Amino acid sequence: MRTGVVAVALAVLALAPTRAAHAQFSFDARRYGMGGVSLSRDGNVRRYNPAYRAVKNKNHVAGTPKFSIPVPFGLIQFFKDHPINQLGHDPMFDPKSTAFNPVALMDVIFNPPIFYEVKKAPLPTNDVSFTIGRNQLIIDLGATKVLIPEQEFGLGTTSRLLDVGAGFGGFHVGVMGFLQYDVGFTLDTTLRSFLVNDSTARPNTAYFVNVDGTAQAGFAPTVSYAGRLTHGAGGQDTDDGFYVGGALHYYFGATYGRAIGPAGFTTGAPPVLGSTPSPLLNGDVFTSNKPFGRGVGGDVGVVWISGPFEVGAGVNDIGAELTWSHSKIQHFVYDNAGDSIATIVVSADTSLKTKLPITYIANAALHMGTGTTVGGDVVNSGRGTVIHVGVEQRTGPLAIRGGVSRDQRKKMQFGFGGGLRLGPIGLDVGFFTHSNSLSTQRAITMATAISIY
Amino acid sequence: MKALTAALLVLLAACGKGRVIFNIDVLSFLSASDSLKGYNVIGGIPQTDSTVSRQFILPPGFGKSSVDSVSATAAASLENATGSGSVQFDVFFSKAQGSLFTGTPYLTASSGAVVGADTVPLLPPTTVSLADSVFNTDSLWVGIRARLSTNVGPNMTGHLRLNQIQLRIVLQDKVF
Repeated sequence: MRTGVVAVALAVLALAPTRAAHAQFSFDARRYGMGGVSLSRDGNVRRYNPAYRAVKNKNHVAGTPKFSIPVPFGLIQFFKDHPINQLGHDPMFDPKSTAFNPVALMDVIFNPPIFYEVKKAPLPTNDVSFTIGRNQLIIDLGATKVLIPEQEFGLGTTSRLLDVGAGFGGFHVGVMGFLQYDVGFTLDTTLRSFLVNDSTARPNTAYFVNVDGTAQAGFAPTVSYAGRLTHGAGGQDTDDGFYVGGALHYYFGATYGRAIGPAGFTTGAPPVLGSTPSPLLNGDVFTSNKPFGRGVGGDVGVVWISGPFEVGAGVNDIGAELTWSHSKIQHFVYDNAGDSIATIVVSADTSLKTKLPITYIANAALHMGTGTTVGGDVVNSGRGTVIHVGVEQRTGPLAIRGGVSRDQRKKMQFGFGGGLRLGPIGLDVGFFTHSNSLSTQRAITMATAISIY
Repeated sequence: MKALTAALLVLLAACGKGRVIFNIDVLSFLSASDSLKGYNVIGGIPQTDSTVSRQFILPPGFGKSSVDSVSATAAASLENATGSGSVQFDVFFSKAQGSLFTGTPYLTASSGAVVGADTVPLLPPTTVSLADSVFNTDSLWVGIRARLSTNVGPNMTGHLRLNQIQLRIVLQDKVF
């Protein structure tokens, strides 16, 4: 039990540098080829900007497909390496296997093997040395030290799982589902110093990670409006004009949970290795007893289109604070005497409040009339801002694309690709770099898709 | 220590394929009386042994991992006060205490002939053993033996001072 608790605490550490990448995940090979930017009026812009409800969803970029079907070459390779009828015994998924590597498993989760990995990000390879003495425990992680994060790390996003309803004259009434989660970890300075600075472990010292995780889900009846306030120089037959949109949500939370507190271990009296370190777990857990946490929030957005130029901005979940009238607060602490986790109910039924993080997008595109389209967007889906800039050049049936982005880890990424259209069917290929894996180096993935025109 | 090292070894999962090296300061685990062992042997004794044995708990996983190499290093000094004779300094490692002193020592050094008050360094050459199955275990015994041989005459008295006993164990594969 003791070993397990401490091991799990540090397993979290080992996985520290991975970040949520799925918020950026897409099946669109064209988008990957442009560094992640989407030049169409679907996807992120409609998700985050309610004004786009009033903008026609057609794409005035010649040759843009109706939809794309991803060709999952990565899955073929994955199931070749991991036969589906042997997954139960596959070392990748079996923690009891001596070959089980949690990092490899997390890489699969954070970086789903849909597309073919042209260049895998190499894990740092180096010798790791332990210096062990009666009063001394020093770890030298070598080059792997760079994986130890300096600031908070974690994953999180806000998703709208469904959005159904009906509308008339710009008004729309419907119901949307929402799911928000955010898990953050921060290494205590003592632990970080121990791992990074080759300093010896000290007796009677706590080494821990601060954990703060929240998850909440529910649905929200929504009334929204989107309309074109002014027509541009192109007149009513074009998309030109200034559009506004807004939505008012009444949130009904279905369930909610939050856990905060340190997890780690405390070394014993000197000598530091003279006694078994004690697991350290001392946190609070907040959970909803009953559904229907309630709150009100809203979205706003604007779009301006003038000929070849288009720009928009949208903000979601403004003022979205949910009140959970029936919640429970429990305190969890590791009891060293009993070698177990003790639970103390702090409050069996109380009222708590949670907030949905504000998410936003700003986007712009310029169709230059020579088959060239450039665009960019700035998106924050709840944990960090992502910036994409890309360009596409179409010449007859051919298209070439390129782009750059700055990901949630603030690292620059690059994309390039091309497409070939043959009548109603086309093939698109996009190569893109990413840092979704647990590595300091970028990987390169090839996305492939069949486009239907 | 077991929990701590187990937890730290989980961290190694993030390190990709590399070697895991344990530098173990064996001497630090011995008590002060183990590290400075006195002797008082009457003259004319052809052979008598003075031994110390201690058990170490190694990080879990040693038992199922393959040991690439083990280097053992030691240093001691013989601080003779009276009498004459010789001392052989031996270091053993074993999985079981019962078989600790039965095999060939990993490290050995002889003082040669010592007469009267004298200090003699005992510096056995570092030994390297490959794929040594003795270290495929979660617990290990270390044994230190001073084998004395005295000449006819006054008692041979003095101390054997241990200055260094170090193990460098290299594991090629993952420990868990």
